[in-house]
Amino acid sequence: MINAVLVFNNNGQPRLTKFYTQLDTQTQQSLIAQIYHLVAQRPASACNFLPLPPLLSRQGSSNSSSAGPSDAPTQITYRTYATLSFIMISTSTESPLALIDLIQVFVESLDRMFENVCELDLIFGYETMHAVLSEMIVGGVVVETNTEKIIAGVRSQEGTTGKRRAVQAASTSLGRGALPGLGAWR
Amino acid sequence: MTGSTSAGSCSVRWFEKSLYDLIKGLRNHKGAEDEYIQNALRECKAEIKSQDMGRRHCVPPRDRHDQATALLKLIYLEMFGYDMSWAAFNVLEVMSSAKYLQKRVGYLGAVQSFRPDTEVLMLATNMLKKDIVSPNIPGLSLPLATLPHIITPSLSMSLLPDILSRLSHSSPVVRKKTIVTLYRISLVYPEALKLAWPRIKDHLMDDQEDASVTTAAINVVCELGWRRPHDFLPLAPRLFELLVDSGNNWMAIKIIKLVSYNPYHSPWLCLTPFKQFATLTPLEPRLTRKLLRPLTNIIQTTTAMSLLYECINGIIQGGILDGEDNLQERDEVAGLCVGKLRGMIVIDSDPNLKYVALLALNRIVTTHPLLVSVQQDVIMECLDDADISIRLQALELAAGMVTSDTLQEVVNRLVEQLRFAPLSASADAPGVADEDFEENNAPTTSTETVKVLPNDYRTEVVHRILDICSQSNYSEIEDFEWYVNILVQLVGLLPLAETDDYWNAPQLGQAQESSPIKTTVAFRIGSEIRNIAVRVKGVRMEACRAAESLLLIDNRPLLFPVGSSVGDDVLGPVSWVVGEYAEYLRSASRTLQSLIDGGNVSLPAKTLQLFLQAIPKVFIQANRDCEGRDSWRSEMSLLLARVVEFLESLAAHPDLDVQERAIEFLEVLRLGADALRSEGQDVPFLLTSVIPSLFMGLELKPVALNAQKKVVLSASLRLDEPFNDDLPDLFDRLKNGSLSDINSHSGLQDFYYVTDASPPANKPIHDLTTAASYLDTSYQNVLGSAGTGHKAERRERYQNDPFYIAPVGGNNSSGTSTPGAPYEGGLDIDNIPIIDLKLDDAGKSLTSRDIPEVRRHQPRRMEVAADETLGVEDLSSSPRGNSGAGSNRRGLLQVDSSTLERSEYQQPGLVSAGDEGDREMREAMQNVEQVRLRMQRASERIGLEGTPAEGELVKKKKKSKKKATTLEGGESENKDKDKKKRRKKRTSEHEPQ
Repeated sequence: MINAVLVFNNNGQPRLTKFYTQLDTQTQQSLIAQIYHLVAQRPASACNFLPLPPLLSRQGSSNSSSAGPSDAPTQITYRTYATLSFIMISTSTESPLALIDLIQVFVESLDRMFENVCELDLIFGYETMHAVLSEMIVGGVVVETNTEKIIAGVRSQEGTTGKRRAVQAASTSLGRGALPGLGAWR
Repeated sequence: MTGSTSAGSCSVRWFEKSLYDLIKGLRNHKGAEDEYIQNALRECKAEIKSQDMGRRHCVPPRDRHDQATALLKLIYLEMFGYDMSWAAFNVLEVMSSAKYLQKRVGYLGAVQSFRPDTEVLMLATNMLKKDIVSPNIPGLSLPLATLPHIITPSLSMSLLPDILSRLSHSSPVVRKKTIVTLYRISLVYPEALKLAWPRIKDHLMDDQEDASVTTAAINVVCELGWRRPHDFLPLAPRLFELLVDSGNNWMAIKIIKLVSYNPYHSPWLCLTPFKQFATLTPLEPRLTRKLLRPLTNIIQTTTAMSLLYECINGIIQGGILDGEDNLQERDEVAGLCVGKLRGMIVIDSDPNLKYVALLALNRIVTTHPLLVSVQQDVIMECLDDADISIRLQALELAAGMVTSDTLQEVVNRLVEQLRFAPLSASADAPGVADEDFEENNAPTTSTETVKVLPNDYRTEVVHRILDICSQSNYSEIEDFEWYVNILVQLVGLLPLAETDDYWNAPQLGQAQESSPIKTTVAFRIGSEIRNIAVRVKGVRMEACRAAESLLLIDNRPLLFPVGSSVGDDVLGPVSWVVGEYAEYLRSASRTLQSLIDGGNVSLPAKTLQLFLQAIPKVFIQANRDCEGRDSWRSEMSLLLARVVEFLESLAAHPDLDVQERAIEFLEVLRLGADALRSEGQDVPFLLTSVIPSLFMGLELKPVALNAQKKVVLSASLRLDEPFNDDLPDLFDRLKNGSLSDINSHSGLQDFYYVTDASPPANKPIHDLTTAASYLDTSYQNVLGSAGTGHKAERRERYQNDPFYIAPVGGNNSSGTSTPGAPYEGGLDIDNIPIIDLKLDDAGKSLTSRDIPEVRRHQPRRMEVAADETLGVEDLSSSPRGNSGAGSNRRGLLQVDSSTLERSEYQQPGLVSAGDEGDREMREAMQNVEQVRLRMQRASERIGLEGTPAEGELVKKKKKSKKKATTLEGGESENKDKDKKKRRKKRTSEHEPQ
């Protein structure tokens, strides 16, 4: 299952945090900081998998990759789009390559929701982003990977209000720049 | 930080800001965010409470716009780590709003901020019940998506019937979410699965079901599957059908994941349907073939790399390659898989594929090392990959596949890698845990060249090298001189800033407690040198000389990393080596001078303790070295004076252990200095034999960590009984000098210094353990050689003694202990208890594997001493602080699904008649559990009256109590009808089922 979904920008500021198990705020923050530290170290050419940060690696088995399925989170998949990094922490029951695609679906859906999504949209469209995610993943289990259906699900909740509000707020604030590289690997 | 409330600002509308205002404000207050946020929090606190203070009674609390806005801001700030647990009750209020978008904010608040200790949750039961049966789909989805985050056993019990009913909802969106929610409920309340599983299965089996519902069901089954593989066996045909026909890659991946749970790594013997069919019904080999064909087909045809990868993974992990039959087909498949993996590494330049291919190879290597070692060339390439993740995988793989033939090549390559990559500056210390989230430190990495290796990677490489070399008691090493040389080189290649501190810091006091010495890589290297010196007699001199060279003050700038003290931990164990094996030193007096160098005073206490222990030993050797010379007396006086000076400087060391040892040796050596001064031309007796005798005894041997614990107390040992009832009389006799037995003294002497019947008394090194005979040194053999006459007789006597280990082939060496057991001619050796020391299984298998191994290679190899008798010391894991730490502790983010194993949720018909009694017992237990949960709920309801709804604000007890009642009251006013229904439901719930 997926244990957590995180989005933060290049400075490590969280834009979305979703933990599928209850975790106290302080631990959440230090986990985000540790993962950001790992992501920030990686060059653009590196693969999309992170080693486990200390908070996760010290429990459970020391060598995760060869062990069979367990409840412990063993995989961290990330993908960076422009200024934002999307992170999924999961157990070994998820396929690593499929998770990369799942992040792509998430970002594509956001892009469809906001039309050329950028970081500001996501800041102001914070609620909508949560709504998109909860159409895709419920309780750590993937329920939908079809962009159309995800969009339809969110629209049925809020119409286009979320987008309209976010775009309005964002356009009065700073210039918008879309996330480039959608559709490419990274 | 949330404790202060600005009292005057409540219900001031114009004060209120929207989330957008908050975010914009944040952006406009760069540099002073914290102050701004504190203000905002204060405002939110006022806003969120304004309604219940002022307008609760005039306006029905159905529109909670202001509260929702305030809550949204709080949720936003919570993301940055600002606590909002105090607002839990307000979250509930907003959840109860009639407006969907407000309700959504409330539910989001619950997801983001509720923790296991959030007490107000029990107030929400009725509201959740109501929302679950809500007619509009978005409203209904909210509780379904939220429940997994907040579910508790008692909540599950109350909500289960309502949630189950959602499985037959007309909308597939609701059905798929319900399936997942039921899974999460089952995790905390296993009973639920019993009811839910048959229905989930129906959805899975239904051809007409919406594809996304089927996928969700597959995903859930995939999570459940590895816990209870047997239950999913009946699903195999349907899974097969979906795999072949669906054309949905997402689902196919999950199905393959499900069917390929690795039987080797799980306690359940036959996990996979492949494996299961193969083992349970040997008549069905065609099923394996049936599944093998589509998988092979997918591998050959698919364009989706993820699916291809999972197929390969599935085939490998599912044990398809392990069967006994149809050899040729299996070889083909194995070749195909490994070939594809190789292709993923070599041909595609995608680092992700490279990584996952290595991941897959890492899984194969445990079971099929041969298949992998064929790919060695590619793997070695990956060791030099630019990407650290890939390197680490390759490193692990390399560690997994080394044999004695490839070991040197692999290790040399790694050492070269370390040597040619410049040491990264220790400046980029990884302290990122800054609370100030607006801080603008752009990542520096993309500009850095990949050639600079991060410190933690360097550390990892060194650890791995040590792991590789020391595995199974050095069985893979052929050339120990080479290894000693590598160890010395590694000291110079240590990363400048030891990152172990960073990684281990949070766990201090937990796992580290057990190991008193901080196990840095440097310490580990030192320990390896010590290990080699102790275990491998053949290179003891080389190891000792290596230790000497590391210790010499003049060499330190050359051998240690420049400008850093990370290497200092090497010195401790290394100084033990030079002390213990001082006779091999090139120059004892130079070594001694390095040991007593004034700069050493600042070394850590643990190192100093070892230094102190080594100093007198090396001094004795230095003394011996120059004994014949003319200048002997003056040299010795000078040396002794310097040693005394050094010890004096430590006599007031803050560490008590150091202080004590320093003072002890100080006094002893002062005596030596006095003797040197007073006596004539003769060498003082004190220096030639008294002080040396302090350190000479039997050779020290490696003893397993837990050996001492395994020593069984003799049954005849009576610690509570007095030795002699007539003690006063004994003392009287002693006073009169009638007790003339002085033998006790010599007995003691023999105990420490005598191994054999007639050893030379002052020769420190005994020939007991020459390379050829070492392994035969054992308790039995010592006895045997001493008293052959008794041997046969004794063997006969112990024939039927369960505690007696019969020697196998005459020279059974394992399972015995304590060379240097006291032996005296007159001692009745038959009275010495011979007890089988029960080893744990791991230890036993290791020992029995190791010793023959070493023997087999005897002509070529150095003799490696195994740990004395009681299993091999766990070299690879024990020195590393972060491994094997409390494996049973539940990890972060971890969902505990172990409860599922215990619960039985098959249809009753499938339970075999044999365990009728079992089932009854189980049912009884379930009933008890249900009653317990019901009681828990009841007590929660009662406890509510007394406890504050807001957990932390104890002083506001009265107020919150009022709030709690008003919420319920407010609800009940508006929803009288609902309440009646609810009450009815509750009573029906209480009826025995």
